[in-house]
Amino acid sequence: MSGAPLHPRARQGRLAVGLGLVVLVAAAGCTGLVRSDPVYVSKAATTAAAAASAVETAQLAVQEAAAGKLSGPSLAQTLAEAASDAGAIQATFDAIQPPDRRAEVLRGQLDRLLTPAASVLADLRISARWGDTAALPRLAAPLPKLAEELQRFQEAHQ
Amino acid sequence: MRKLLEIALGILTAIGGFVDIGDLVASTETGARFGLGLAWVLVVGVLGIMIYAEMAGRVASTSGRAVFDLVRERLGAGVGLLNLAASFFITLLTLAAEIGGVALSLQLATSVNYLLFVPIVGFLVWLVCWRVRFEVMDNAVGLLGLALIVVAVAVWRAHPDWGAMWHSATHPAVPATESHLAYWYFAIALLGSAMTPYEVLFFSSGAVEQRWTRSDLLVNRLNVYIGFPLGGLLALALMVVAALVLEPRGIDPSHLSQAALPTSLVLGKLGLALALVGFFACTSGAALETALSCGYSLAQYFGWPWGKLLKPAQAPRFQLVVLASITLGAGLVLTTLDPIQLTEYAIVLSAAALPLTYLPLLIVANDPAYLGDKVNSRLSNAIASVYLVVLVVASVATIPLMILSKAGGS
Repeated sequence: MSGAPLHPRARQGRLAVGLGLVVLVAAAGCTGLVRSDPVYVSKAATTAAAAASAVETAQLAVQEAAAGKLSGPSLAQTLAEAASDAGAIQATFDAIQPPDRRAEVLRGQLDRLLTPAASVLADLRISARWGDTAALPRLAAPLPKLAEELQRFQEAHQ
Repeated sequence: MRKLLEIALGILTAIGGFVDIGDLVASTETGARFGLGLAWVLVVGVLGIMIYAEMAGRVASTSGRAVFDLVRERLGAGVGLLNLAASFFITLLTLAAEIGGVALSLQLATSVNYLLFVPIVGFLVWLVCWRVRFEVMDNAVGLLGLALIVVAVAVWRAHPDWGAMWHSATHPAVPATESHLAYWYFAIALLGSAMTPYEVLFFSSGAVEQRWTRSDLLVNRLNVYIGFPLGGLLALALMVVAALVLEPRGIDPSHLSQAALPTSLVLGKLGLALALVGFFACTSGAALETALSCGYSLAQYFGWPWGKLLKPAQAPRFQLVVLASITLGAGLVLTTLDPIQLTEYAIVLSAAALPLTYLPLLIVANDPAYLGDKVNSRLSNAIASVYLVVLVVASVATIPLMILSKAGGS
């Protein structure tokens, strides 16, 4: 930094570099356009892994609550976040246009796992907010199978 | 006896004050995704911050002036401004993340939406910065932060296979489910979380606030060489407990609540309560440190009166910057930007800016005009130079890795 006034072109150049960096950083976290089957398959696998993470989190929280190891507010918060994550994960994946028929079939397969997972997690969230912790193990019963299927889906399409 | 007590207190607060929201997020996330495959980065990061924090403390104790003050004088206004811009922006971002972290800790304890806590947290941070004496503030949050020891207890009570853990930590490998790009992206994030610029800035300014002199060089060394590695062990414990509980279940943590689950699984409600106290203490301590650091950096660069030793009326611009920074930080969180994502970006961008903070410090610490016979030894220069090379490589690689790994998502 010399402190000398910059030539307008140099100033524009620096501004462009700065703006470029901001755009690149912003783009790093965005969902891109999907034009090919492999990219869509990879996104489906990532989605399955993220959904499995939310399901496993809820399962662990319910298990801890049943053993009297988790306080009410923490349980309610953890389940609310897991439910919100599951909903957001499904919405993000469903917003991606499948590039061809095969991808559309894959989307259907994954949605058949995501929809019940999001539904169970929403039920758990509601129950926990009502303080009805006794109902949680029953409501969470489908979670181990869902987690396993999501895991299997991810491994098959990785 | 009084000196011994002072040393013990300094070490305890250094341990309790070591972890912040960046460590909470980065250690838990890397443990859950890579097991102990990135534990080596934590060791590298803790050693790095020890070397440079000791240097910053020595500069302040010997010259009676804080690092920014000397950087501007020694390297000129231009380099000083570059140094200031890099660290001020990152520190402000970190302040926002810490305020969000405090609010999230309170949300976990009460189930009340964290956004409702943000203005209250912001106000209290400002009130403490305005009214409470430096030593009282530093000691209180540091000692409260010791509650995080509960995470280390959880590791011990989980009865892990220590041999397998040691093997995993000393033979780092990228898990089959993760890409090499994501591995290196998180390595840089972890390094950024351990060596955040505000830590050195606050440490050197704190030394001036506490009127350290040459006779306090031993206190400086003991704080850094004992307190920091023990504090680093708490960050390692967070990584280990996540590797033990979250990784086998395939949980990729994106919320503070998930960071608390392993401790409550092992130790129950009492463990959870202590972990939440620890989360609250370390984030609120870091919120205070970052808020003051914003004021320190600007005031020291422009040569304004600064510090909590002065009455607010004697350092109005310093106090104004602290207030404005807290307002901006709280405002950023109130935009509903996810505090955990904010933390992830803060630590990664912090890694990108590290050489701009540490190179000027290294130059100042070698200037006999300020340090006399207390300039860096050859050994400390050699180690610091190796670290600087590592930091430059990490800094250059940060943005490309962020883009290519989709911010660690692939």
